[in-house]
Amino acid sequence: MIEYFFLLLGELIMVFGTLGILRFPDVYTRLHAATKCDTGGAMSILIALAIISEASPLIRLKFLVLAFLIALINPMISHAIARGAYKHGTKPKVVVDMYAWDNP
Amino acid sequence: MSRVPFYLRERLDDVKQRVLFETYEAQKLPKWEQVVLTWIVLFSFWTIISANVKVENLLIGGLATLVISLFMYEMLTEDIRRSGHILEKILYISFFVIPQYLFIMAFRLIESNFKVAKHAVFMDINPGIVKIKTELHSNTGITILANSITLTPGTLTLDVSKKLGETYLYVHWISVETLNREKAGEKIKGDIEGWLKKIFW
Repeated sequence: MIEYFFLLLGELIMVFGTLGILRFPDVYTRLHAATKCDTGGAMSILIALAIISEASPLIRLKFLVLAFLIALINPMISHAIARGAYKHGTKPKVVVDMYAWDNP
Repeated sequence: MSRVPFYLRERLDDVKQRVLFETYEAQKLPKWEQVVLTWIVLFSFWTIISANVKVENLLIGGLATLVISLFMYEMLTEDIRRSGHILEKILYISFFVIPQYLFIMAFRLIESNFKVAKHAVFMDINPGIVKIKTELHSNTGITILANSITLTPGTLTLDVSKKLGETYLYVHWISVETLNREKAGEKIKGDIEGWLKKIFW
């Protein structure tokens, strides 16, 4: 029963992440939605699959390794995209920008 | 520091850097402990990935990971602080630090997902880029701290500037509450930095 709860939670998070990507104004706020909702949604779907599947426990552990790798790699990718966008010259729509103060 | 004459400043920086480097060298783990820690990590990864607990498979995996860890012991464990006996350290990390970290980060992740959903529905955002200071010095510690900051609610790490014993992080904050550096650091980092300082240098 708890696996369907995890599946529903993952899909709900993915739907709201997509809504955030569509509605937010610029690159950096869209990256917020992409990173967090992808990580949380994919991890909870993988946990649900690890509970549902009827394989031996060592094979189920591979799902958890996948979830761990997603949690490790996703923030790094978002950091790389944000830094690359800033270096390319995309100005953020912000109230305060301390990064531009230090790197004129 | 601001009143030091110009020609003395470079020399002072040199001395500071040497002191920092020597304290860092003195606090490193010895070589055989680094090899044992790397071997444990690689061997558990091999066991999970191959999913096969026959004796010959474990023997081959153990030998191969031992050879690899004899060469590559510096990659994973270079920045771990020296404290206590190695057995105590292994038990402390694997049964206390990692479960606590995973448990609290899972709840932070769920909270940040709901917060993004709330921001996407109501559009009450007030974004800004703020600069905070950390007290970690090693590359591994700063990397884990930056990734944890990205997964906690409302923040995204943009860049890191590392100079001479002082490390600053530039963080994109989706709803800026304060511009004071100490208060913003407390709000953004939480208690993650305290846990990381127990293990990493």
